[in-house]
Amino acid sequence: MRAWGLRLFLAAAIAAAGFWAWTLLFPGPEQVIRKELTQLAATASITPNEAPLAKLAKAQRLASFFSEDAEVRVDIPNRPYQDFNGREEIQQAALGARALLNVLKVQFLDMEVRLAPDKQSAVVRLTATADLPGEKVPEVQELEFQLKKIDRDWLIRRVETVKTLR
Amino acid sequence: MGNSVEACHKPGFLRRVLIGSNPTRTLVRIVIWVVLLVVIRTYVLLPIRVEGVSMLPNYPENGINFVNCIAYAFHPPQRGDVVAIRYSGRSIMLCKRIVGLPGEVVGFHHGHIEINGETLDEPYVKRPCTWEHAPERLGPDEYYVVGDNRSMDFEQHTKGIADRSRIVGKILL
Repeated sequence: MRAWGLRLFLAAAIAAAGFWAWTLLFPGPEQVIRKELTQLAATASITPNEAPLAKLAKAQRLASFFSEDAEVRVDIPNRPYQDFNGREEIQQAALGARALLNVLKVQFLDMEVRLAPDKQSAVVRLTATADLPGEKVPEVQELEFQLKKIDRDWLIRRVETVKTLR
Repeated sequence: MGNSVEACHKPGFLRRVLIGSNPTRTLVRIVIWVVLLVVIRTYVLLPIRVEGVSMLPNYPENGINFVNCIAYAFHPPQRGDVVAIRYSGRSIMLCKRIVGLPGEVVGFHHGHIEINGETLDEPYVKRPCTWEHAPERLGPDEYYVVGDNRSMDFEQHTKGIADRSRIVGKILL
């Protein structure tokens, strides 16, 4: 009886490990999108005393997450409305932010991924937090990302703010 | 032949305290407790830490509290309830007080909230203000929420209309 129990337990453990390995080796589109957006948040973060070349490289890397025709519309209360069109403008904006800020920690939490039936586009709602220097409480903003699969890559086509309270 | 003495194995004191006299039963108990705690923590009582000054002085910064996620299982949210409002998920939430209910007209006049044209008595507001805001009618599933600390400018205070689906639960303490 005990041997059977042990065999059953081992079989379940092997199946679980196999499933985990499978998802690790062949991640689904939802996992790929989540990973990509986590990388975007890490790239948008600014570490103290970044070298000018590193700033440029990170701004370029940040722009590479977006499609050529990407649109970013940021409407946060008590902040100026921001509107960027295309990779070039996004890169310039990222460089500008890096010139202004010495440190910034960006995190994307509670990602809610909705894939289109054809699995070629997706909409992601998430909560972005930004720890700004000198502020005790992080800035929190809900965002909506629209992504499209272009040449096997998931690229961001549109970002806009979501009003949690109207 | 010689007497055979059966060895009587008695578990040590520390082992009895840590895992009991019946390890299988102890393991089952631990599993049940862990499952129970996870279910309560996820679906019933959500622990939170209050950050920010929006609910001062009633809910001080860094105070630990809980969200009762089943508070509105049998009745809708009530005026005066302090609730947790989610963003895209429950990792970070807004902590606000409900002042306006669905269908009501809510506005601010001389720093007082007016519901359907009548001033609302708010004993919990210790820091009055001079806010002015034109009245607006709430939809069928909409609640007007605001913080207790009205000492800042109207524009700098996070408040407004919350959809019912965003209200996670009632703040417990």
